[in-house]
Amino acid sequence: MMTGIVLSLIAGALVGLQNIFNSKVNEHAGSWATTVLVLGLGFTASFTLGLIMEGADLFVLDGMKAWFWFSGLIGVGVVTCITQGVRRLGPTYAISIALTAQLVFALLFDSIGAFGLEIVPFTFKQLIGVLVIIGGILLFKLGGRSKKASVEMKEKRLA
Amino acid sequence: MKGVLFAILGGLFITLQGVANAQIGSAIGTWQAVTVTQLTGFIAAVFLMILFRDKTWRHYKRVKPLYLTAGSFAAIIIFSNITAIHQIGVTLTIAAVLIAQLAIAFFTDIFGWFSVSKQKMKLPQFVGIGMMVAGVLILSF
Repeated sequence: MMTGIVLSLIAGALVGLQNIFNSKVNEHAGSWATTVLVLGLGFTASFTLGLIMEGADLFVLDGMKAWFWFSGLIGVGVVTCITQGVRRLGPTYAISIALTAQLVFALLFDSIGAFGLEIVPFTFKQLIGVLVIIGGILLFKLGGRSKKASVEMKEKRLA
Repeated sequence: MKGVLFAILGGLFITLQGVANAQIGSAIGTWQAVTVTQLTGFIAAVFLMILFRDKTWRHYKRVKPLYLTAGSFAAIIIFSNITAIHQIGVTLTIAAVLIAQLAIAFFTDIFGWFSVSKQKMKLPQFVGIGMMVAGVLILSF
C-alpha cells in the first residue's frame, strides 16, 4: 500500500513540474508543437529506460491487442477537451471541474471494475474520502486569492 | 454549458488513460506499455500538428533548454502510475497524484520557483490542501 502511495506522489510531483515547464514551452510554441515535443521526449526516455530495465524483452509484445495501438489517442482527447474547456470557462473553473470529474470517474471505474479492473468495492468510507478531496480541490481553486488575473494565468499550467 | 462538458470529458479521459495504461501494462509488461503508448501518442500528435499546420516548433529554441526537457518525465510518471494502479486501485492513485501535483503548483507560487511570480496564499488554499490530504487518509484506512 505504502509503495503505491509513494509512487503516486512521485508521479504527481513530476506531473506538477511538467505542467509548469510545458506551459513555458507553450508560451512560444503552439499546443500541437508542444504536445509533439513532450510525447517525442517521453517516448525517447521510455524507450531508453525500458531497454535498460528489460533489455531485448522490451520488443516482446506478446498479448498485444489491436486497441493498444490506439490508446495514445486518449491523450489527444485530453489535450483537446482541456484546451476547449479552459478557453470557454477560464482555467480556474475548467480545471476544478476536470479534477473533480477525474476522481468521480475513478471511483466509478473502481467500484464496477470497468475495463477489466479488479473491483474495489464501493463503501461509505470511499464516498466520504472522495467528497472531502473534492471539497479541498474546490476550496483550493475557488477560494479567494489576491491578484486574481495573474493567478488565473498560473493556473493555466495545471491544464 | 459546452465548456463544462469539455472539462468533464477532459477529466474522464485523464482517468481513462490511467486505466488503459494499467490494462496494457498487465497484458504486455509495464515498460512495454509505457513505450508503446508514448510512441503512438507521439505519432498521433505529429499527424495533428501537420493537419492543423502548426509550424511553431521553429520557436522551440526560444525556450530555456531546461523547460524543453519535461516530456522525458513521462517515463517515470507513467511507470509509477501503472504500478500504483495495480497496487492500490484507480481512486487512491489519482487522489495522491492530484495532491502532489497541486502541492508543486502551491510551492511554486509561494516561493516563485522557475521565475514564476510569487503569490501570497490565503487561508482557503491551506485548508484546501489539508482537506485533500485528509481525504486520501480516509481512503487509505
